[in-house]
Amino acid sequence: MSTSKGYNPFTIAQAEFDRVAGRIELDEGARQLLRNPLREYHFQIPVRMDDGSVKVFRGYRVQHNDARGPCKGGIRFHPQETADTVRALSMWMTWKCAVADVPLGGGKGGIICDPHDLSPREQEGLCRGWVRQVSRNVGPVQDVPAPDVMTSPQHMLWMMDEYEVLHGGHFPGMITGKPVGMGGSRGRTQATGYGVVYTLREALRELDLDPADTTASVQGFGNVSQYAIELYHRLGGKTLCVSCWDQRDQASYAYFKAEGIDLQELRDITDSFGGIDKVRAAELGYEILDGDAWLDREVDILLPCALENQLTAESVQRISQQVKVVAEGANGPTTPEADAVLQERDIFVIPDFLANAGGVTCSYFEQVQSNQNFFWEEGDVLSRLDLKMTAAFHDVHDVAQRRRVPMRDAAYMVAIGKVAAACRDRGWV
Amino acid sequence: MNEATNIPRFTRGAWAAGEIVTRIGGGGVGGKAAGLWRLKSELLGELDPAGFTGLQVTVPRMVVLGTDVFDAFMELNGLRELALSGASEARVGQAFLRATLPPEHLGDLRDFIAQVDSPLAVRSSSLLEDDLAHPFAGVYATKMIPNNQPDTDSRFRALDGAIRFVFAATYFKAARDYFAGTGHDHGREKMAVILQEVVGDRHADRFYPRVSGVARSFNYYPSGAASPTDGVVSLALGLGRQIVDGGLCWTYSPAYPAAPPPFRDVGDRLRSTQTSFWSIHMGPPPPPDPLRETEYLMEADLATAEQDGQLDHLVSTYDVGADRLRMGCAGRGPRVLDFAPVLVGETLPLNSLMRSLFPLAERTAGCPVELEFALDEDPRLPGGHRLCLLQMRPMAIPDDSTRVAPVELSGAGVVVAADRALGNGAREGLADLVYLKPDAFDAAATPAIAMEVERFNRELLQAGRPYVLLGFGRWGSSDPWLGVPVDWGQISGARVIVETSIPGMNPDPSQGAHFFHNLIGLGVHYLTASTVGGKVDWDWLAAQAAAGETAHVRHLRLDEPLTARVDGLAGLGVLERSGVLERNGDSERNGS
Repeated sequence: MSTSKGYNPFTIAQAEFDRVAGRIELDEGARQLLRNPLREYHFQIPVRMDDGSVKVFRGYRVQHNDARGPCKGGIRFHPQETADTVRALSMWMTWKCAVADVPLGGGKGGIICDPHDLSPREQEGLCRGWVRQVSRNVGPVQDVPAPDVMTSPQHMLWMMDEYEVLHGGHFPGMITGKPVGMGGSRGRTQATGYGVVYTLREALRELDLDPADTTASVQGFGNVSQYAIELYHRLGGKTLCVSCWDQRDQASYAYFKAEGIDLQELRDITDSFGGIDKVRAAELGYEILDGDAWLDREVDILLPCALENQLTAESVQRISQQVKVVAEGANGPTTPEADAVLQERDIFVIPDFLANAGGVTCSYFEQVQSNQNFFWEEGDVLSRLDLKMTAAFHDVHDVAQRRRVPMRDAAYMVAIGKVAAACRDRGWV
Repeated sequence: MNEATNIPRFTRGAWAAGEIVTRIGGGGVGGKAAGLWRLKSELLGELDPAGFTGLQVTVPRMVVLGTDVFDAFMELNGLRELALSGASEARVGQAFLRATLPPEHLGDLRDFIAQVDSPLAVRSSSLLEDDLAHPFAGVYATKMIPNNQPDTDSRFRALDGAIRFVFAATYFKAARDYFAGTGHDHGREKMAVILQEVVGDRHADRFYPRVSGVARSFNYYPSGAASPTDGVVSLALGLGRQIVDGGLCWTYSPAYPAAPPPFRDVGDRLRSTQTSFWSIHMGPPPPPDPLRETEYLMEADLATAEQDGQLDHLVSTYDVGADRLRMGCAGRGPRVLDFAPVLVGETLPLNSLMRSLFPLAERTAGCPVELEFALDEDPRLPGGHRLCLLQMRPMAIPDDSTRVAPVELSGAGVVVAADRALGNGAREGLADLVYLKPDAFDAAATPAIAMEVERFNRELLQAGRPYVLLGFGRWGSSDPWLGVPVDWGQISGARVIVETSIPGMNPDPSQGAHFFHNLIGLGVHYLTASTVGGKVDWDWLAAQAAAGETAHVRHLRLDEPLTARVDGLAGLGVLERSGVLERNGDSERNGS
């Protein structure tokens, strides 16, 4: 999430909420409750550094709403973390869990730090320190953290271990994103990317398009993009272009092949951060273009799966007339101005918190498995994921059709409506 | 015709909405599924229901996984090399059970199983079987699953496992031997899978249909006044496995449904009719055994079926005092599964339905056909019964004729004279003969004999030498007391098979549907030398030097090859020494 001066994500999140709350005529009590987090924890985390000194970090956990179940949301390590960023993200998690219809609420956490400057031991101290501060307020039945920006399965394991030490037992369901074999779920790696394509598949059905007759262009070549491309290809689709960040050049490039990319070929020349080897790609016959060239390709489908704010008022004008669907794999890739243009051009948009809800859905599966200490086969996980994502898509699409609103608005209406109903049912409002 | 494109695509909720046949994935649908689609889309529409009051004819609901699913599965899991490597069945099976089905189809499968909580048959449907117009019956696998667990997860896992088992069975030993025996390229095989509703009802822990049947519109073994074109029907209580695996069942000619069967006396009939039946085990799950085709199947006896109330239309009762059979199951006495109430008493129009189905099915398929069906009570229907057609496959019928006159059976140089013969035409140059030694034969040792035969079969198969197989009782019987219980793979190199009798081993000729299809499809001659009209020249056989010998089996390699001739219309056959034939010329063959 951008933290540039003047951009306050929490203000945007509240504005979106207010707009949709008005549309669905939400009562004042529910509006007051839902436009702010239920609980916030702000705390200091002292960590003894490798040089013997003690450094104090600022940590957060925000629980936006838990009317539908325990809060769920990641923990970010970011040098520009702010309380408002965490608040906004926790609110979006509430809506994402609701639209995916998993029985969880929304939460988010973070620590202001740059893990690149910390040794593994120091990072472990940070993780354990974060848990010590909130161990009474998170856990399998309260709030379940997960990896997010610059946090990894290893961080989750340290956090779980600290929690278990403090609570004197085994609680693998207190956190998700753990490695398979240590409480993690099979299928988690594929979940977000596959989830994007499950919703894309349904959108194409609604448009009466056979995936085998379509082409796509994808921004990003990380985990989400790779698995989205993988499943899209399995359905018969063809990807003509992918873009990614080049660490060495500190620039992004788009890799284009008119006859369609070979996913495995590109994976073989990609580093663990999703960066494609430019020289070897050229040797394999890929045309190397500017990083933003992915969005002006003559394709049927755009899959922004990397960064926020990529489809803006300006860049959206470059989108080909051929494009029929935009499936937002990334969080917030489309600005409101660009969204209006897409709507005007009658392009089918699958909004981010629906399209990329496969990740949190699989996290929910992981939590269920962890709580039972019984782990499913990959087929179990992926088949459930397909049904969940397909059902979520159609719930939203039905509202979009009935209320004659864009998919994004429909998704918000579904989500806010569910959470508000849970609050009412509990007698909170 | 590309059947796959005609079958509607599976849509979520389709099963609950009552769609009869749908498909998941593209590609071919294989011979079995194509036959079912023709039954549903063509044959059923032509059948006049007014003629069969009390019996509704239908096909069970099913979903077909196209061969694209198989291809994607093999590619995704990198299984082709192992599958064709000759690795053991267990290793291949384990690799398939550890693999995952393609993710693009998992959601549809889960949606399907979420809507279905009754038993399913997960059947193979081979693409090559369709392409080659060769019957592959019995080569691949069908897994029956109870599918009655209350939670979708358990049902999904069982379905997932059953599909992978069926995929794995494409490369099991029976299939490998079959391809080795036929010379076809195993690597070309692709498997579609049929997920088919099982017809039947639950009785305690058992689920089974009242009657299963196999009906062939052409009869290779006509008896009495029946002609080959009258066809033949085999009936059994419970699942059809009883019939297709060659177990005891009731076989009759639809032209003469009340004709007395070829039993010597009531005791013979009691011994030679079905006494147990197959059902799906609906009770607490058995110990897991995912690589066993019968993992969820169980056998029970007739008394159990009677407790279940399933014998009403099916049995006669032996009246000990009068030493005779009385139709039905009133009174005390042993029950005989002779289907007399249906076939003689005509309590259900089953036989008239069979006679009407044959010409329609032959017209639909363009050749003689074999139909599998199941009949069950359904109180919701006006007549109270439904008959579901489960399979239709074309029968390979010999098209050229080679006459064998009765007088030739006693001609010079005849090693085997068969008064009943299956197949048609001549097969020359048979230099290898494997036979069971009459003086060493022991009916109790038939399982061991099967292993000895398999050894010779393997050697001859590897050497590329077709051979004659000669033995006692039914080859391939599931009952080791009725014959040698080989599976097809154990004798797949035999191109002429002879069955004869010996005291203590004198059953009816083989009736196993799988064997028949393989025999005819591969052009194997099947000779039956009965004690009445046939003969085997044991002295001549004993006088030949053995090329190999085990406790019960001898292998001859003859300098002077044999020739087998079968007259498909007359049902007669001979195995004769070629040299004698050449010396005697045509005069002897023509009996002039």
